[in-house]
Amino acid sequence: MAAPMEAYLLLSAALFCVGLFGVLTRRNALMFLISVELMLNAANINLVAFSLYHGNLTGQTFALFVIALAAAEVAIGLGIIMVLNRQYDDVDVTRAATMRW
Amino acid sequence: MDAAFTYAPLIALFPLASFVIALAFGKYLPTRGALPGIVATGASLLVSVWVAAAVWQGHVHHEVLYTWIAGEDVVSLEFGILLDPLSALMLVVVSLISFLVHVFSLGYMNAEGETGLPRYYAELGLFSFSMLAFVYADNLLMAFIFFELVGVCSYLLIGFWFRDGAPASAQKKAFLVTRFGDYFFLIGVVGILATFGTTTFVGSEGFPQLAEAAIAGGETFWGIDASQWVTLLGLLVLGGVIGKSAQFPLHTWLPDAMEGPTTVSALIHAATMVAAGVYLVARMFGFYAVSPTALAIIAFVGAFTALFAATMGVVKDDIKQVLAYSTISQYGYMMLGLGVGGYVAAVFHLMNHAFFKALLFLGAGSVIVAMHHKQNMWEMGGLKEHLPVTYWTFLAGSLALAGIVPFSGFWSKDEVLFEALLLGAEAPIFIAAYAMALAAVFLTGFYTFRMVALTFHGEARTDDAATPHGVGWSIKFPLVVLGVLATVAGLINMKPVAVVADLDILYLETWLDAGFETTAYGTYTTLVTEVAGFSYADIGPLLPAIIALVLAVAGAALGYRTYAVAEPTEPVKRLGGAYDLVRANYYQDEFQVWLAEGFTARLARAADSFDQIVIDGTVNGISTVSLRAGSRVRRLQRGIVTNYAALMAASIVALLLLFAVYGGWF
Amino acid sequence: MLIEAMLLVTLVGALVVFASPNRYAGRLAFAISLLPLGISLWLYHRFEAVGNIFLGGDPAFETRAIWIDLQPYAIEWWVGVDGISLPLLVLATILATLAIVSAWTPIDERESQFYGLILILETGLIGVFVALDFILWFVFWEVVLIPMYLLIGIWGGPRRKYAAIKFFVYTNVASLAMFIGFVAIVFGLGDAVATFGMPEITAALHDGQLGALAGLDAATLKLAAFLAIFAGFAVKVPMVPVHTWLPDAHVEAPSPVSVLLAGVLLKMGTYALLRFNFTMFDDVAQQLAVPIAILAVISVIYGAMLALAQSDLKRIVAYSSISSMGYVILGLVAYTTYGVGGATFQMISHGLISGLMFMVVGVIYNQTHTRMVGDMAGLADRMPVVVGVFVAGAFAYMGLPLMSGFAAEFMIFYGAFESTVVPSAPLVTAVAMFGIVIVAGYLLWAMQQSLFGPFRLETDEPLGRAPIQDIAPLFVLLALIILLGVDPDIFVTMIQDAADPVAALGGDT
Repeated sequence: MAAPMEAYLLLSAALFCVGLFGVLTRRNALMFLISVELMLNAANINLVAFSLYHGNLTGQTFALFVIALAAAEVAIGLGIIMVLNRQYDDVDVTRAATMRW
Repeated sequence: MDAAFTYAPLIALFPLASFVIALAFGKYLPTRGALPGIVATGASLLVSVWVAAAVWQGHVHHEVLYTWIAGEDVVSLEFGILLDPLSALMLVVVSLISFLVHVFSLGYMNAEGETGLPRYYAELGLFSFSMLAFVYADNLLMAFIFFELVGVCSYLLIGFWFRDGAPASAQKKAFLVTRFGDYFFLIGVVGILATFGTTTFVGSEGFPQLAEAAIAGGETFWGIDASQWVTLLGLLVLGGVIGKSAQFPLHTWLPDAMEGPTTVSALIHAATMVAAGVYLVARMFGFYAVSPTALAIIAFVGAFTALFAATMGVVKDDIKQVLAYSTISQYGYMMLGLGVGGYVAAVFHLMNHAFFKALLFLGAGSVIVAMHHKQNMWEMGGLKEHLPVTYWTFLAGSLALAGIVPFSGFWSKDEVLFEALLLGAEAPIFIAAYAMALAAVFLTGFYTFRMVALTFHGEARTDDAATPHGVGWSIKFPLVVLGVLATVAGLINMKPVAVVADLDILYLETWLDAGFETTAYGTYTTLVTEVAGFSYADIGPLLPAIIALVLAVAGAALGYRTYAVAEPTEPVKRLGGAYDLVRANYYQDEFQVWLAEGFTARLARAADSFDQIVIDGTVNGISTVSLRAGSRVRRLQRGIVTNYAALMAASIVALLLLFAVYGGWF
Repeated sequence: MLIEAMLLVTLVGALVVFASPNRYAGRLAFAISLLPLGISLWLYHRFEAVGNIFLGGDPAFETRAIWIDLQPYAIEWWVGVDGISLPLLVLATILATLAIVSAWTPIDERESQFYGLILILETGLIGVFVALDFILWFVFWEVVLIPMYLLIGIWGGPRRKYAAIKFFVYTNVASLAMFIGFVAIVFGLGDAVATFGMPEITAALHDGQLGALAGLDAATLKLAAFLAIFAGFAVKVPMVPVHTWLPDAHVEAPSPVSVLLAGVLLKMGTYALLRFNFTMFDDVAQQLAVPIAILAVISVIYGAMLALAQSDLKRIVAYSSISSMGYVILGLVAYTTYGVGGATFQMISHGLISGLMFMVVGVIYNQTHTRMVGDMAGLADRMPVVVGVFVAGAFAYMGLPLMSGFAAEFMIFYGAFESTVVPSAPLVTAVAMFGIVIVAGYLLWAMQQSLFGPFRLETDEPLGRAPIQDIAPLFVLLALIILLGVDPDIFVTMIQDAADPVAALGGDT
């Protein structure tokens, strides 16, 4: 017997909260990126879980899309982090604030 | 149709052609455009005489020539030509004077080496064109159009010497003051067109006829009784007349207009601009003849102006200024004549005045040439010996102006006064008008001979006056022609003689009684007596004529005796405060300048401040508020990613809570 | 297909000019602008009376095809002209060509972009006067704004950014109000009418097919839409009190752009008012005749008073445009044949006259580098030909007979005087007519100060001769003004054919 639906949702919510906590507290851009990935994967779990629950494959297809998207995002994100590092010699996200206002 | 009428439109078109030629090719012509002008106005004169001859034989002509704006189901606006005794007479007068002024200009402008002559002759041609077309206009709209063009031409010509400040200011004043009058005129034209659906002068479909029918039928327009409405429209049109004919209170532009060349002054005063106003009243007299109120206002404006301007003429030093005030005064007589129903008298005076005033201005021009362009009479004196032709012709003109028998001005001025007296004897209020005009007769005699004496008699008071410059044939010829006319023109309507000797010699009256029935003198008399309700006393013309003559002679003699001495002084100065008041033209100019600068310009500046501060301030205020608000709100964007993320997370939670509460999840 | 050809050559021409080198851009743009001019004159030549296309007339040179189909609504490519739009089309093409020529002297940087934008502007102007589908019309309406914004903002005077932004924001907000108002009407008409075709909407509105929308009953909806649309167009006209963008835009814009701005762009506003407010919503317009007439009179008198207080020649002409456009509104609200016809003719006439005045001020500026009345005097001595044109243009502005301004103003005055829609029409007209005295006042004053008297120039510029390409357009315009003044029927016949049905809405036949 498979795990109940609630378990998946709780897992996903927990994972999302971990990611959110990371985004809100960390200043290191790499940790930031990892936290964002966690939140994306929380969404993926949701998608797959619902796909299983409803018995159609759309959710899983979307999960694949999101994974591909996450890969692309990581590529760009890492690029930005490299530039940050080159500019400020560290990867603290709060320092790059010149574009405000 | 008479052959003359086929060619009649050319009367105005010839000068138009000379305008085009002078403007385009004047620079390359030997006389800088004078010759085309002389030929054109000469040709106009010939055709005018031909037309007058045809009218003499009892023919009249009214034809629509051109549709300006065609209305399919509405009124069309058209231009046409109207040739009847009045317009034929005026065409001859205008084209004659215009021709003589062109000839005179050869001596006055060309011989003096003026620059800008092509412009001068072009403008002169346009001026003649406009006036001639105005004279034969068959409807009020066309009359207005050419009335305005006449105004523009006089603007251009007054400012001919634009490089000086004074002409530039005078031209502005001339146009602006007459424009103010024309504003009322235009309302009148629009009103007449909207009321009667036509602006044609003659025929049973003409607006004067329709107005009479409307009054007889007791109609109302826009809730106003027909007779009051007609009076109102008549007075609106009169606004334009008062402006152009320089009647009180819009007379101030005319003395300033002396800044133009003297030839232009002659044309403006005698035949064109100023004459246009009075001619217009005569042209649509049938419309005024049905309104006693309008007639009374015309009469009083005229009588008051006649006296008022005459007092100012007494104290002027510049020969042209004296003539300018005399013009205002003389047009006052014509207005008085029309206002008391003396249509023939007014037209008669209009014609005579055209001759003698053109003569006097050209004579003054001759004096000015001789005096090396000095115009102050106190610097002249004794010119009689040096300028015999000018002197004798000028004297003829002066006698005509002063109203001394048998010169032309006497006969017509006397007739105007006589008509005023006849009406005044029945309607006593008009006695006041008569009295003012009579007082002006004395003053006219006085200032005229003050001018003659100061200029020509006594001894030369400056070197310029002792060694005047000679004048050529082109100056003398017009003077002689006009001198003869000023002397004899009055013989065509000698009313006192005709009545006393019981002769049928009132040629002008007969002439004006012919033509279209609706514009004949007899019809006007009927209208004035029956519709307007004027009645005339039965008084013999001899005694009034003698009274007027005695006053004129007394004034002339006093003027001559006071100033025709070796060392003339200015006795009028002893009047003290009154002298200063008159000398300052009753502060009319100051008042009008205040009206323009003190009042209107200040109001405009206030409006501008209001616009800048309140209206544009509101607009800019809205933009400032938006910008400020924006700059406050953007402070939220602190540039720290964590803050954004927190904000997003918090917002989502808030949104979820909102949904939860309102969605009833709890 | 002639109209499409006209739009296409202008647009393609604009692209070609953008790509051309700066040196040849001006000449090339002139040559290209002759094509739409030629086509519009050809249209004029071939035109036969069709009545008013918003009131049942069959559009001349019509093309109609589905452009974007959104069931149940379809946006159509629907173009055609009648006696009101064709003269404006001719005006737009003439002024565009002349403005291009008059730009040869003053514009000396980024020429290819300048002339390219002018041609795009012309495309938009042509489109506004020919489009019959609302969305299509709105696209052209907005297309006009962008090149104008750039032309003021790039080639303008010292405060060009302020002026350009003010112009853009003002007119764009106005467009928004108008768009909302109109779309509300489209939806209010419901699925039975389901069209953006303006003639069809007019017919449906006159049929009383308007339903309730969003809680507003038909009458209120109509009134609200009328007010929104009126406000939107009033900005463009401009009417007091939404006029303040105009003087700033004119003063900062280069003269050739001012020519188009005053000559044609303002007419978009009055044209749209005539088509929308006074034709589609004629019943509301007649109910509101009193406030509209009062606004018109205020525009006339107040605009003229403002002009009286200015000392910059361009500002004088700009404010007097407000005054002249007030006459147009007065003529429209009169609902008489002469009123509506005169208003339309005044659009043409004022386009030519204000174009001439801005051009001649531009020529003076090219030589003296000042436009302030106090900085110069006695120019007639040095620039007799230009000053002669200035004087003629000023008199045309004052309504000198036998020039087009008089014909137009006289028609308006006559039409307004006998209006039965406006109460106390004679009195209202008489008050508005006082504008002709004030206009004479400020123009005569400006001429006396700057053109006559002893010569003086504060800027110490060496006064050169104005080149022939500056002078020639002036004479073309002056000739047109006199031609239309002597024979107004060149346009008035076709205008009255289309204006009569509008006047008939007010009970005047």
